[in-house]
Amino acid sequence: MLLSSRTGSSPGRRSLIVGAAGLAVSALLLTGCSSSSAETSTEGGSSAETLTIFNGSTGTITENFNPFSTTALQPTLGVLFESLYWYNLASEAEPTPLLAEGFEWNADGTALTIHTREGVKWSDGEAFSANDVAFTFNLVASTPALNTTGIAATAEATDDNTVVLTFTEPSFMQEPNVLGNRAIVPEHIWKDVADPVTEINSDPVGTGAFTVKSFSAQSYMLEANPSYWGGEPAVGDVRYIALDSADAASAALVAGDVDWMSAYLPGLDDIISGNPDLSYVNTPSMTTAIFTCANADAGCVGPQTDPAVRQAIYAALNRDQLNKLAGGGFAAAASPTILLPERDKKWIADDADLEVPSAPDTDAAGDLLDAAGWTLGSDGIRAKDGERLSMTIQTVTGWSDYISLNDAMTQQLAEVGIELKASQVSWNEWNDAEQSGKFQLSLDSIGLGASSNPYFTYDKWFNSANTAPVGENAIAGNTSRFSDAAVDAAIAVARSTDDEAVQAEQYALIEDVIVEQMPYIPIYLNSMLTEFNTSRVTGWPTGDDKYAIPASWKAWDNGIILKSIKPAN
Amino acid sequence: MRYFVQKLGFYAVALWAALTLNFFIPRLMPGNPVDIMVSKLAAKGPVTEATRDAIAAMLGTDTEASLWQQYGDYVSAIVHGNLGTSVAYFPASVGQIIDQTLPWTVGLIGLSTVISFLIGVGLGTFAGWKRGSWVDNLIPFTTMLQSVPYFWLALLLLFCFGSIWQVFPLNGGYDVYTFPGVEASWGFTKSVLYHGALPALTIVISSIGGWMLGMRNMMVSTLSEDYILTAEAKGLRPARIRFAYAARNAVLPSISGFAISLGFVVAGSIVTEAVFSYPGIGSALLMAVNSNDYALMQGIFLVITLAVLGANLLVDLLYGFIDPRTRARS
Repeated sequence: MLLSSRTGSSPGRRSLIVGAAGLAVSALLLTGCSSSSAETSTEGGSSAETLTIFNGSTGTITENFNPFSTTALQPTLGVLFESLYWYNLASEAEPTPLLAEGFEWNADGTALTIHTREGVKWSDGEAFSANDVAFTFNLVASTPALNTTGIAATAEATDDNTVVLTFTEPSFMQEPNVLGNRAIVPEHIWKDVADPVTEINSDPVGTGAFTVKSFSAQSYMLEANPSYWGGEPAVGDVRYIALDSADAASAALVAGDVDWMSAYLPGLDDIISGNPDLSYVNTPSMTTAIFTCANADAGCVGPQTDPAVRQAIYAALNRDQLNKLAGGGFAAAASPTILLPERDKKWIADDADLEVPSAPDTDAAGDLLDAAGWTLGSDGIRAKDGERLSMTIQTVTGWSDYISLNDAMTQQLAEVGIELKASQVSWNEWNDAEQSGKFQLSLDSIGLGASSNPYFTYDKWFNSANTAPVGENAIAGNTSRFSDAAVDAAIAVARSTDDEAVQAEQYALIEDVIVEQMPYIPIYLNSMLTEFNTSRVTGWPTGDDKYAIPASWKAWDNGIILKSIKPAN
Repeated sequence: MRYFVQKLGFYAVALWAALTLNFFIPRLMPGNPVDIMVSKLAAKGPVTEATRDAIAAMLGTDTEASLWQQYGDYVSAIVHGNLGTSVAYFPASVGQIIDQTLPWTVGLIGLSTVISFLIGVGLGTFAGWKRGSWVDNLIPFTTMLQSVPYFWLALLLLFCFGSIWQVFPLNGGYDVYTFPGVEASWGFTKSVLYHGALPALTIVISSIGGWMLGMRNMMVSTLSEDYILTAEAKGLRPARIRFAYAARNAVLPSISGFAISLGFVVAGSIVTEAVFSYPGIGSALLMAVNSNDYALMQGIFLVITLAVLGANLLVDLLYGFIDPRTRARS
């Protein structure tokens, strides 16, 4: 009876409460940020050169610095352990060499020769060599449970600084995963690890710019690695903390307890303008899109299986209004090719496909629907052969910006005679529906590929090989069930070559089809906001200098940022 | 003796029923842990069919064991004290997570429940004894605090005392900026108390009203009993009448309420821990639900079940001593 007000509710309602609580505290922070100055709380005397990062971890932290583990703590990749190369997904750039200094493919793409960097030391003092690289790839190839990127390569170190990876088929497109997405581990330690799957690697020995200083379930500390091959990083200690919500994080940011975090904070401009030490950078790079279950042949049901309906939705959206109402004004223009207009300009063949229109074209949408036989009914909603043009769009309970999007789009689409029914479900249910194809429309976003080559986007989201009939899980990405022989063929050609000119031709073919078919209807590039405290450290990525993706939760990029930033004094 | 055996038998059956429900309910949720892990990975980087196979192999969910086989394994594992491996915190074991989080929750929520009960019952006794006093007038105020949604009250206090006046810290179980980890020192203990003070305060002021009101009303009806009149007629000291005659009888319903709330200490901490970013078992449960982490959910539900049953059993047994009438009747 005592705690009944809190124990009686179901988990679903709890997250609602937490969500509502979140809104409330942000509102409070907004009104109060003028009165609470951004003085640094040094209740226990925190040292000035220690940087505090909130990377989104909540609750209790469990120790896991195993770079092969999918649940490894985020700084494991990039900060403690390094890959051979690093791919900057924030801008169009060549990969940055880390543990390797060069690589070349043989002509048919079955052998990759990698020249490793000289003079690199593991953090325990042992020398790094090509043998470690070979060991790492062979360990992955021989342990199915570690092989999350599906690399099928055997490796052999031909001398101390050269390693050759041999693939069973042409594998040019494995390049970013091999070079940029695989942390190299020391052979002298890992050859004695009994089970690399469950190893938590509590005293990690890596080549990264930082090493682990201390660990507890509430926070852990890294310290600069004095023998780092690129020179000891200027920032001394780095502390990672856990907070339960974005609101707790925003309060900690204002109080000066957090130096680096990534979260969408309502009223961000007000928070920043009241605190001269705080700044933020916005790097929109994920396309928010309406995912449609587009392929009737695969078992999708509903009006959205008609391409004309998808085109009409695309044309009828008032994206300026959506950005204001749901995106907080931070969203950027997406591309109908679902590539990134700024970064991927060179891959977008037709300039008309560079950016989505920001204003609605209801006439064009109406014409499209008229031509496809959807006629306006007496209730203001179109119908065809007795089927009303009405679709359900699902999103996750508590994702407030997506819920606002649904509300605004419902009104916008009603103007052209399309009825949108918004539904909110739990994350698990939403994810399950999308994976199994049991949805009509779903709000989701197109994430980043392994590199900026459009192959990774197109293969994942449009290749028939990556989909499954409705009822089976399409885990590899193509949840719209889209299938087109011409697109499949173009992806296959692009995969078999490393000639960018050939690839560009193929991508142009793909773009023509998908702009026409629109299985994912792009809305905008959602904001990716990262907040910094510049009083202790400077040199963060900015809008003009996107030298890495600044998000504090991003693996690999964090390592680059942590060795680029400098203490403020 | 028969009374105690009966009670223990009842609790054994209740435990089995709870364990069985505990096994089946998480499996009725949509989605499965492998798909959820794959989807979460997909948000961070590329995934392929191989990713799925790798995760299935890693979690050991690629077996085709039937539900009954899984149930059998589950029961035998629990008997052996093995709660399994967490998916969300892989490769940490469920026992390890519970070990890490339970002390915080029991410490914070448990202590504040006890404090709230003691203060509430104490004030209620006084209010019932001296009707119309200032303590009596406190009751509408405390019940109002109880009816305010808890998360709102907690946020409000956090905002006032954490952000505006900065009397209390904003989050955490201790000062992670000073102490690298849990340690046995006076400074650390002080930090834990300091960080726990505000969450404990919110729990106490949001729950004290119920205890006060219940105790006061029981006091009032007990005071009109004949044996009180007899006691007064015998000329006993007012203090003795108040405590040994009135309060001892009036507190009985509150004690059973207290048992239930003690049992819910483990479960009732989710909102508190979310608001204050407190490192307890509630946030672990939230994480487990979000990741369809059956093993962790089962482990935490098991702890909750044991806590509820244990607290009830304890009070059932204690009741026999506090109120001899219950024993005599059975």
